Amino acid sequence: MLEISNIDTYYGKAQALWDVSLSVDEGEIVALVGSNGAGKTTLLKTLSGVLRPASGTVTFLGQRIDGLAPHSIVEMGISHIPEGRRLFTQMSVGENLEMGAYVHAAWKRREETLDQVHEIFPVLKERQGQLASTLSGGEQQMVAMGRGLMSRPRLCLFDEPSYGLAPMLVTEIFRVIQDLRNQGMTVLLVEQNVRQSLEIADRACVLENGRIALAGECEALLEEELVKKAYLGL
Amino acid sequence: MVTLLNMVIGGLLLGGLYALIAMGLTLQYGVARVLNISHGEFIMLGGMTTWTLYTVFGINPLVCLAICGPIAFVLGFGIHRVLFRRLQASAPSQGAFESSSMLASFGLLFIIQNLASIAWGTEIRAYTYLAIPVHLAGAVFQANRLVALGCAVAIGVAFYIFVARTRMGKAIRAAAQDPATAGLMGVNINSVLALCFGLGAAMAGAAGVLISMIYPVHVVMGMPYTVIAMIVVALGGLGSIPGSFIGGFVLGLVGSIVAYMDPGLSLVAYYGIFILLLLVRPTGIMGR
Ligand SMILES: Nc1ncnc2c1ncn2[C@@H]1O[C@H](COP(=O)(O)OP(=O)(O)OP(=O)(O)O)[C@@H](O)[C@H]1O
Ligand SMILES: [Mg+2]
Repeated sequence: MLEISNIDTYYGKAQALWDVSLSVDEGEIVALVGSNGAGKTTLLKTLSGVLRPASGTVTFLGQRIDGLAPHSIVEMGISHIPEGRRLFTQMSVGENLEMGAYVHAAWKRREETLDQVHEIFPVLKERQGQLASTLSGGEQQMVAMGRGLMSRPRLCLFDEPSYGLAPMLVTEIFRVIQDLRNQGMTVLLVEQNVRQSLEIADRACVLENGRIALAGECEALLEEELVKKAYLGL
Repeated sequence: MVTLLNMVIGGLLLGGLYALIAMGLTLQYGVARVLNISHGEFIMLGGMTTWTLYTVFGINPLVCLAICGPIAFVLGFGIHRVLFRRLQASAPSQGAFESSSMLASFGLLFIIQNLASIAWGTEIRAYTYLAIPVHLAGAVFQANRLVALGCAVAIGVAFYIFVARTRMGKAIRAAAQDPATAGLMGVNINSVLALCFGLGAAMAGAAGVLISMIYPVHVVMGMPYTVIAMIVVALGGLGSIPGSFIGGFVLGLVGSIVAYMDPGLSLVAYYGIFILLLLVRPTGIMGR
């Protein structure tokens, strides 16, 4: 479904990704792990069009998407749920969700999608009229995820959705991601919670200093010395 | 009592125009991040064009509103497309863009002013339209001022509803708060910025039409209005549309009261408020 081949990405003159290749198949959860500053967010930004790769290609459903503007990439069915939630804090919860459905095709079906999002996160229905900035951290993350789903994507790019949440909420977020996949969603998941991510993912890859260090099936990776030492504390 | 009422009504009449001008600048500066020094030139273009349309072709100034507004929109939209968008694309940072775009708008001011003086000359132009006295609670005002206020408020309210309710209006608000994230939602950010710049120019053009109904117009009339718009934007809070609307009326009231004591002092009072505000509440009335 998504084919990333030999991507190099720069911030100005500073290179952040070196020759990154990765593929995500339809219906899969692929986990992307790595330490702080490894380039995980940079990779997601390159996929969603916020950054342009200097070389390499990104193909989605058979079409080249590298070099397209972010709004065109959302229209094709990729939703990037950014790091740090990035809610529109001066807007209500309901308006934030509406903004998620901005693309034309999703706008027409926004009521129907909203019901689905409310089913996943019932608390958002109660909070509808509240300013997004007045919600708790967990609720804000739910708004961010709900907003990302409002565009009716086929592929979700989650950037550390469990960051800063209490353990119970972390479990809840992982359960939601699993449910989404069971309903046919494809997921590329960036996470710090390595153990939990590898439990729900089909495949995973480890990014180190802007390069892919390891990639493979999750069961196999859990046995890797590097993963055990660096990320599982064994 | 009657003089107080006089001042208040006079202030509201003036405030409506200020509110309209300031909302336009709010869109250009608060959303598109261009501190548009040539804002007043679009006011001038609206005023001069209306003078020509009315005195030469006999077109009603209210009809001119429907002509000048859209023309100014197209002009502003085009200027953003060919100039500011490119500056933004080539700027290394947002700060660099804000200063280069301000300098570019300075250049725009001179270009527009010079072209206008070739077209219209440098004489002061005026016409009379609806100069009928209207008695309002003991005070007397000319009908054209009431019509101008009515139009300014109608445009302001219509725009507020547009921004609060519609899909495109919400995209404008989202882009004002966080352009990168708005892009992730599917908002074509370049189009929205050009739209905001164009709408800002349209409001300036419309304000120029309304101003020409009341005051004489000339090709260098723009600058004081630009300054007033900046003061109101600072007063209302950067990027806040209701803030600039309310701020416009506040400044209009102050201007009217001060002008009653000494007409020469209104600009002094405006600057006084501006400096006081920067010291006491730099985020403005509605700012965060
Ligand atoms: N806007 C930027 N300008 C310049 N360099 C940047 C920028 N954003 C990130 N970088 C650099 O790029 C590298 C990768 O950063 P990135 O944010 O992708 O890491 P990450 O894996 O997401 O880390 P984290 O787990 O902390 O979120 C880092 O060295 C970082 O300093
Ligand atoms: Mg990151």
